[in-house]
Amino acid sequence: MDIRKVAVLGAGRLGRGIAECAASKGYDVVLFSQGAGGQDALRRIEKSLDRKLAKWAITESEKRLILGRISYTLDLKELSKADLLVEATIDHFYTKQELLRTADHLCRPEVVFISTTSTLRVSDLARGINRTDQLVGLHFIPPVPDVPVAELVRGSQTDDAAVEVAKQFAARLGKQVVEIQESPGLVNPRTLVALVNEAAYLIDEGVCDAYQAEQIIKDSWGMTQGPLEMADRLGLDLVLSWMEQLQDEFGPRYAPCPLIRRYVRERRLGVKTRLGFLAYTEDDALITEHNSKQEGKRED
Amino acid sequence: MNIFVLNCGSSSVKYKLFDMKQEQVLAEGRVERIGQDNAVITHQPAGREKVSKTMPILEHTTAIRECLNLLTHPEHGVLKSVDEIDAVGHRVVHGGESFSDSVLINERTKEILDSLASLAPLHNPANVTGIRAAEKIMPNVPQVAVFDTAFHSTIPPYAYLYAIPYSVYQRHKVRRYGFHGTSHKYVSQRAAELMGRPIEELKIVSCHLGNGASIAAVQNGQSVDTSMGFTPLEGLMMGTRSGDIDPGAVFYIMKQEKLSLHEIDSMLNKHSGLYGIAGVSDMRDIEKRVAEDDKLATMAYKMFEYRIRKYIGAYVAAMNGVDAIVFTAGIGENTPSLRTALCTNLSYLGIEIDEEKNKIRGEDVEISTPNSKVKVFVIPTDEELVIARDTARLV
Repeated sequence: MDIRKVAVLGAGRLGRGIAECAASKGYDVVLFSQGAGGQDALRRIEKSLDRKLAKWAITESEKRLILGRISYTLDLKELSKADLLVEATIDHFYTKQELLRTADHLCRPEVVFISTTSTLRVSDLARGINRTDQLVGLHFIPPVPDVPVAELVRGSQTDDAAVEVAKQFAARLGKQVVEIQESPGLVNPRTLVALVNEAAYLIDEGVCDAYQAEQIIKDSWGMTQGPLEMADRLGLDLVLSWMEQLQDEFGPRYAPCPLIRRYVRERRLGVKTRLGFLAYTEDDALITEHNSKQEGKRED
Repeated sequence: MNIFVLNCGSSSVKYKLFDMKQEQVLAEGRVERIGQDNAVITHQPAGREKVSKTMPILEHTTAIRECLNLLTHPEHGVLKSVDEIDAVGHRVVHGGESFSDSVLINERTKEILDSLASLAPLHNPANVTGIRAAEKIMPNVPQVAVFDTAFHSTIPPYAYLYAIPYSVYQRHKVRRYGFHGTSHKYVSQRAAELMGRPIEELKIVSCHLGNGASIAAVQNGQSVDTSMGFTPLEGLMMGTRSGDIDPGAVFYIMKQEKLSLHEIDSMLNKHSGLYGIAGVSDMRDIEKRVAEDDKLATMAYKMFEYRIRKYIGAYVAAMNGVDAIVFTAGIGENTPSLRTALCTNLSYLGIEIDEEKNKIRGEDVEISTPNSKVKVFVIPTDEELVIARDTARLV
């Protein structure tokens, strides 16, 4: 089947990123969200495109073309027109399963479902729907348009044809797909939370501050973005929930550092609240170490 | 002999059908927005009314099939059946070092073309898609690939090599290839015809000035140097492309603006040139703004002219002389003021132009005066005719 219209469930950072990336590669995208802030999704995608425009990555006409391909709706009946469904909602089993069940009734039977879950098993999610063989796990890392790799997992009943559809979709989005075995946390979230947790302990023990840890890790390992900025951009509440789910699955080695719990309790959630491990401007830009060091130290 | 010429882009197909007896165009047209529900086909049979329709066309095979349907249509067509097509000529942007001339397409050719995709990722895959689509529809009709780069294959190594480690050329074939070859070939040959002299004894500077622009030094009928290089980014200032820039400035900009490879690539290809300086990329808009005394548009116009002039001077030096200068393509054919400025500023070559002739549009015209030491021509380019001629030669 020729895929032209992609439905994206969830208008959080991941859903918006997938919508923007898919539209920039020529897909028509319908973005669904019933959560708070969903209405704001198109404006935030436009803001993201404006940032690209300011960096000369796209032209004014390309921006208009991309935005023109994305629509937003609350009406799930629109799902009947989709050729591919990408579920990108929060990693909560019952929420996801209920949404997938609804979509299962509304989408045409041949439509392949992609779930972006990172901590849940595709096989478990597939049990609640009729198209058990057509659900594929494809985990993107935000910012989706910029990260060139995605992790793919198949559930116990996923068939090869569905995997092929997901691979072709990811390839058109410019992603190299690495297929791994089904396991909660996959590669990226599991290794990232371990790194973030250890850095949090270093800060909590007073060995270094967040900016020092970030600089050492980032510059030593040749990263464009260090683990603490990554965590801040994902949201520390999300990182904490990943840790808790992985702790349930794998035991105490994923037990969150108390500092992360404290930050989440204080609503110090990262970019979305302007302060996490590091500090950010209104435009989501990282405030440099020099300007924010004092603030960081005071908070810590 | 009827030759069907195809120029396939990623979402478009342009075609022209030639009767090669008189090199006459029987019909031409284009399909745009391939991949969408509202693809548009326009078809112009020679001497008859233009036909246009909108329909869903999802890929190139359907697009080419629709073109052929129109060519054989009872009312709008010019052929009774597709069997009347004797050969198909395809424009292919990059022939790398493998193709120094047009070539009859076979399995081996297609394998080589696939391997060249990395040299022109935006163009070659679409060209090859067109070849495969045409083969599917017309399996028994010979197909020929005509390369934009082939005419420049005569450039000597000392002109095509970059002064970087030789191993980079050996490993990755990084060198000057040049583009717009079919256009430079056509207009330089046509200039020789208009001069009534064999091209083998002429030194011609050919200026293809469109949204993309390049200059070629054509000596004895062979390209000996050209301004576009490994990619079509090098050389002249263009509509949205920077042309020549110090590579050191590129690294500095990347560092200062924290740009990724994609961002700097996009900046130099899509946000620079006339657009980068003046905010508009179309020469007609630039001229309008120059007339209104817009400072940046005036600067862009001067930069554009100056860079062309520098290259003309360089190629006169490269060939140790020049017999003719030719202007072609959108800007080259339709901007008399630019030609006047260039020729006035090149008076040291003994160039004189006839301002009345310089105003003529849409036909081959010699705009220099009889006393001019260098002939200057405006020749509307016809790349499709070169493709058709090469195709006819090879089948």
